Amino acid sequence: MNNVCDDSECMTRLAAGDATALRDLYQRHGRALLRFSSAMCRSRQAAEDMVHDTFVALLHEPVSFDAARGSVFGYLCGVLRHRVSRHFRQQRRWVALDTENDASPAHLGDAASPADEIARSEITVAFRRAMLELPLPHREVIALCDLEELPYTTVAGILDCPVGTVRSRLHRARALLTIRLASLELIDLQTEPPMAHRGLT
Amino acid sequence: MTNHPETHPQLAHLSNQYARDLAQVAPSPDLDARVADLVATHRPVAAAAPARRSRRLGLYAAAAGIAVVAIGVGILIGMQMEHARKIAARNAASERDAVWPPADLTMWPTDSVSFKVPAEYSAQGTLVAVDPDSKNTSARYWIDVVVANDGTFRIERIVPADPAQKKGGHDGVAPQVQ
Repeated sequence: MNNVCDDSECMTRLAAGDATALRDLYQRHGRALLRFSSAMCRSRQAAEDMVHDTFVALLHEPVSFDAARGSVFGYLCGVLRHRVSRHFRQQRRWVALDTENDASPAHLGDAASPADEIARSEITVAFRRAMLELPLPHREVIALCDLEELPYTTVAGILDCPVGTVRSRLHRARALLTIRLASLELIDLQTEPPMAHRGLT
Repeated sequence: MTNHPETHPQLAHLSNQYARDLAQVAPSPDLDARVADLVATHRPVAAAAPARRSRRLGLYAAAAGIAVVAIGVGILIGMQMEHARKIAARNAASERDAVWPPADLTMWPTDSVSFKVPAEYSAQGTLVAVDPDSKNTSARYWIDVVVANDGTFRIERIVPADPAQKKGGHDGVAPQVQ
């Protein structure tokens, strides 16, 4: 609650032209935004560019924020989401020469040196690749609901859709991800039949 | 990841593992520096923006004023051209009317008057006005003259003044007016 008050105060200062409020907001939400961006984008550089662009947009248009419609973090996630969508629309015009390093674990943190850490990071890389193959609406709902563990109402505010849509989209996204991970042999569908992909053909 | 009853447990496990790895992601020093630079180089545009906005509004207002004046001038020119065209058309019509007779012109004028003029044959065989001192009444005629209000006149018929003379066959004489 204190954060909300601080965020509101920061937004007020920002609207008044105090740019130092942006630094406070970045320190408070930059890391979470980068996590969301990293889950959505293929490369670390693109993820950081999206976060940077989000704060640039916030700095130039601080009056666009409406406290009645949600929290500052939700607003920033919404701006970031639009940036990511635009980024992928622009990316469709280009063909990547090498995507091997896009989903490498190096950008997720420190590379593990022990053997178990290597095996674990391989699984993480495979999971990340499966996640990046999801359509953008499904990817973002997985990132927000399952990875960031945000409430459905908050996610509905970010995605600007009803809560029921969030639930149904999440259900569909989990089913698609399960099938994809099963094809990568990370999930065994035979030993424990999942209920998530019922109805999928 | 919350354990949803319909979620595959292995998916939940993998998601939790990926979320833990993702939680280690921290902004790079480059991103920190870029944001710090953004804050440092930012100039408050709150004061400049209204000026720019008002200047832009002034430009819009000037453009709108010019557009209104141009439209007004165009309307005036159009009205004058239309007026001149009407005058020219009227003049052309009047010139045409002067050259050509009106379409509803009839052969006979609608307003005319007919009266009889006494005449007699002269010694040269022409019809002349009746001499009041002349005693000869046998060669006198009535000339029916129709005078119209358009300034024209015509001789409608010539009949003998003496009914007995009509039998004599003078009715077929071609009149020669002097």
